[in-house]
Amino acid sequence: MFKQLKTITGGLMALCMPVAAMMAAANTAKAADPTEVRIMWYSDGNEGDVMRDLLDRFEKQNPDIKVTLDRVPYKTVVEQLPALLDSGQGPDLARVTDLGGLSRHYLDLRPHLKNAKYFDDNFASSLPWFRPANGNKDGIYGVMSQLALTLPLVNTTLFQQAGIPLPGPKATWDDWAKASKAVADKVKAPYPMAFDRSGHRISGMSISMGGKFIDGDKPALVDAGFKSGMKNLVDWHANGTMSKALWGSVGGTAYRGATEEFANAQVVFYMSGTWQFTQFAKTVAKNFEWQAVANPCGPAACTGMPGGAALVPIKATKNPQAVARVVEYFASEPVYEEYHARTLFLPAHAGLAKKGINYVTDDANVKKSLAIAVEQVAQTSPIAFKFQGYEHNRILFNAMISRVNQAISGEMSLDDAYTRMQADIVEGFAAKGIKLQ
Amino acid sequence: MKQNAQPPLDAEMSTTAERFSRGFALAYTGLMRALEPPFAAIQKRVGIKGMAYVFVAPNMIIFSVFVALPMILNIWYALTGSNRLMIGERPFVGLDNFSALLDCKDYLDVNSCKQDRFWRAVHNSVLFVALQVTAMVALSLVTALILNGKLRARGFFRAVFFFPVLLSPVVVALIWKWILQRDGLLNAFLMDGGFERVAFLHDASWSFFWTVFVSVWAHMGFYALILLAGLQAIPADLYEAAEMDGTPKWRVFWRITVPLLLPTLLVVVILSLIRAVQAFDEIYVLTGGGPGTATQFIVQYIYETAFANQVHLLGLAAAASLLVAVVLMVLTLLQLRISYHGKTS
Amino acid sequence: MRPESDISMASLTLDTITKSFGQLEILHGIDLDIADGEFVVFVGPSGCGKSTLLRVIAGLEPATGGTIAIDGEDVTHHSAAARGLAMVFQSYALYPHMSVYDNLAFGLENMRMPKDQIAQRVNTAAQLLQIDKLLQRKPGQLSGGQRQRVAIGRAITRNPKIFLFDEPLSNLDAELRVQMRIELSKLHKDLKSTMIYVTHDQVEAMTMADKIVVLRDGRIEQIGKPLDLYNHPANKFVAGFIGSPRMNFISARVTQSSATRVSVSCGGMQDTALPVNGTGLAQGDMVSLGIRPEHLELDAAGDWTLTVDVVEQLGGTSFIHGTLPSNEALSIAVNGQTNVSHGQPIRIRPKPGMVHLFATTEGERALPPSSASV
Repeated sequence: MFKQLKTITGGLMALCMPVAAMMAAANTAKAADPTEVRIMWYSDGNEGDVMRDLLDRFEKQNPDIKVTLDRVPYKTVVEQLPALLDSGQGPDLARVTDLGGLSRHYLDLRPHLKNAKYFDDNFASSLPWFRPANGNKDGIYGVMSQLALTLPLVNTTLFQQAGIPLPGPKATWDDWAKASKAVADKVKAPYPMAFDRSGHRISGMSISMGGKFIDGDKPALVDAGFKSGMKNLVDWHANGTMSKALWGSVGGTAYRGATEEFANAQVVFYMSGTWQFTQFAKTVAKNFEWQAVANPCGPAACTGMPGGAALVPIKATKNPQAVARVVEYFASEPVYEEYHARTLFLPAHAGLAKKGINYVTDDANVKKSLAIAVEQVAQTSPIAFKFQGYEHNRILFNAMISRVNQAISGEMSLDDAYTRMQADIVEGFAAKGIKLQ
Repeated sequence: MKQNAQPPLDAEMSTTAERFSRGFALAYTGLMRALEPPFAAIQKRVGIKGMAYVFVAPNMIIFSVFVALPMILNIWYALTGSNRLMIGERPFVGLDNFSALLDCKDYLDVNSCKQDRFWRAVHNSVLFVALQVTAMVALSLVTALILNGKLRARGFFRAVFFFPVLLSPVVVALIWKWILQRDGLLNAFLMDGGFERVAFLHDASWSFFWTVFVSVWAHMGFYALILLAGLQAIPADLYEAAEMDGTPKWRVFWRITVPLLLPTLLVVVILSLIRAVQAFDEIYVLTGGGPGTATQFIVQYIYETAFANQVHLLGLAAAASLLVAVVLMVLTLLQLRISYHGKTS
Repeated sequence: MRPESDISMASLTLDTITKSFGQLEILHGIDLDIADGEFVVFVGPSGCGKSTLLRVIAGLEPATGGTIAIDGEDVTHHSAAARGLAMVFQSYALYPHMSVYDNLAFGLENMRMPKDQIAQRVNTAAQLLQIDKLLQRKPGQLSGGQRQRVAIGRAITRNPKIFLFDEPLSNLDAELRVQMRIELSKLHKDLKSTMIYVTHDQVEAMTMADKIVVLRDGRIEQIGKPLDLYNHPANKFVAGFIGSPRMNFISARVTQSSATRVSVSCGGMQDTALPVNGTGLAQGDMVSLGIRPEHLELDAAGDWTLTVDVVEQLGGTSFIHGTLPSNEALSIAVNGQTNVSHGQPIRIRPKPGMVHLFATTEGERALPPSSASV
């Protein structure tokens, strides 16, 4: 019986052989074509279009390389890319935001770059963010495609209508919460304060309240500062400063923004970040006036969280040389400057930051906001930078957002939520092979 | 056999249909001739008996690749740890995932469980299944009884109740989200009527109610259709006999309709039970499992644990899905037993 | 069989009952009187409305027009149950999920009869029908004949004013049918109830009925005792329907007519003279001559000639099927066995006084007195 099966298998394989031969022939025929570099790319605003435009120019200058820009939703990058990378598949380059979490899949470009020193000089502060813990100490594992900073966006027209002045630059979280609520009550806006439903967004406030998040290379999530940050969120949901309709409409660790609500002038104070500028330039246009404001203060700081997306080379690539050329082109000062000027992103490039970028916009709201954003980068707490560069920060983000939501919905007390957050963190580290206790 | 006179083979004389069928026959013969040599060669190698396996092989290959293999992989994932996807990189942990899932001081108190989210999902699912199946069976039975009666525009109403079944679950969820959300249709009506706005999707009890409601709404037509077929299989003369026997209407229902519909009813109960345990798509889009974890059911827990969380706890999710599989298997066996029983009696 | 006090009989009166389904009128005004204790059979070809009439009487279908009275009480608008009738269905309509006992008891439970009384009634009926050993079985475990008895038993337990039977024997095989026929007749004699029985089988009608109602196309063609219908059919339809084998019909022309005699020419043969009593027929009128096969006999001196086509020998009886000179078919039944064979011309003659004449005009009425002469 088994022998029979073996002969059958043999017969089937004989059948398949010509097909395999044909496929092999097709592959060799392809070799004469230009080298293909695939980029998995998500967009918040117009950066996909700008990138494609810049890549077209690159292809013209480098006919031996063809760059395919696979535009995907952000969810794909978060949920599918890790699996692809684990299985050794995936693109040659990817635009990612979990800089540290995926870093073991990145390729050190240093040996392939023409001018590695240019990267050392201009990207020194962000290069460590995506350097793997056991990687080369001076490795260049990618380049930021966008420096972001969390900060509040405020609908100033609503403040004017309510006749309430904007709290000043050193205003506290408490001041903003009270002012936003007062404005919303007056103008009947449904959402006085809104936060993106994300651990990253609520971390800035916790650091301002005195949270430390990490201790050396170990997570140290729950401390007094963190607790007062979380308590704010629970209290605001309880007293109507924040509406359950936003965070309550999804569960788990799912992201939920309030861009639509803000664009519809339903939100007074929106804790989001610099990446929203281009989008609001388009969706709000001249409907009302808005601007970014300085991050509110707590006892410890007045900081947001830095962050952003990086273009990272994937270790599994078959064409590291071509990949290096694409990255070097993108990071080169004129291209990088044009990219940021057109996308209205903050540059992670020291030289450009000093020089200042002449943003391509005539939207007064955006201009005002960009100026504040640049100022705010300088105000950002070192703890925030350190936490952003922490390889395992996503585990902490996930734990805090899912559990604080259970506390907000009344399923558990905040104290229970803290216990669960710590358990989640232990579990997450264990899955990565790190024992915490 | 008597040879009929051949019609002239003139192309002009033949109709399009004839030409088509001749073309088809030609193509068929061509294909068969082309397949002849390779199959003859295989048969030479494996013998006439072996050919059976050759013909079954495509199906077996598809089954093993898409059904058997994933099942085995799932078991392997359940027995291994870490967030690695590649099987070779995953350390064997034995039954750790199962014991982590089942680690509870008190199964009725989710907060005493190590995997509180799993148990919240289990509790939610049990409540959901109980409410949803009860409502589903009761409402689809009432619908089937009404549709089986003398009704104006009966065909129209049968179609109306069946239409939601044809909708994609995501469409169903989006329609209802549009109706139920904070600024949705229902709240607009309420506020027009001078009522307060209700947080239909952001209040735990309301949103649980709506998950039950929407899933019943979406699938009831299917079960009503099965029950309708069951009702129509009951001979009309039994009802006439009961009428001659002077049977009151409610007694006809309980003593004639229900007992004779029982096999169908049981199939409906089991089917809707299995579907309720698997509930995911509409609810995920409608509430996302929120607020908090109020409407997070077991399948969503598995999905989020395995894929949506930043650290993919594949082992834990695989273990949970095996536990669900066991529950579903029991339910399915029950259904098979009942439908077999129904056929023999 | 039953205690005298339990006997409830009833008369039934139908007055111009009509029944329509939409535009289609099925019953065109039925008038009928059924006396206490009568066994009445509705007979007719399929589609004649006999089952519909039964269902209208039962109350399963509302009458479109007319009135129904039971014992003089108008029940036209009463529900089926309120009329106090019981029905035995062609398909038996036993409740498949209930035991025989429960099937019999179901109607009584509806009346909230005490349990011991129910048991008594069920057991009496079961003994009467010899199904007392089957009470715990389900209908699915019974043979056709047993199911038939259960169906009848279910009717009996309710002690109805009138029993209604809707072709109850049509699902049984021939042998069982004969047996059940006899048992039903016996049952009627025992119960002395009024029974209405629908069938398309004239043998059942002839053997069981006190009174036969022949229906065609929603109208009553004739009502009468079985032998009255046989001997004096009111029209050609009844004459053809009642009696087996079927009556022969030959078209005929009147050649001579007087007050007491009429001569007809038929079958391409010489004239046949018949005694009549004022038919009003004139010379040259076309009529239909009817004669039953058993009323023809072989006679070498007979006036009629027949060419034999087929001979059926049943031993006790023989049927000879042949052709008249006019090419019309004719059948003869003779007692005992015969030696006539295919192709042979034979001479036959009608038994005196057994010839029927029917008008060829609408209704094909029987022409007296030939139909009255025995």
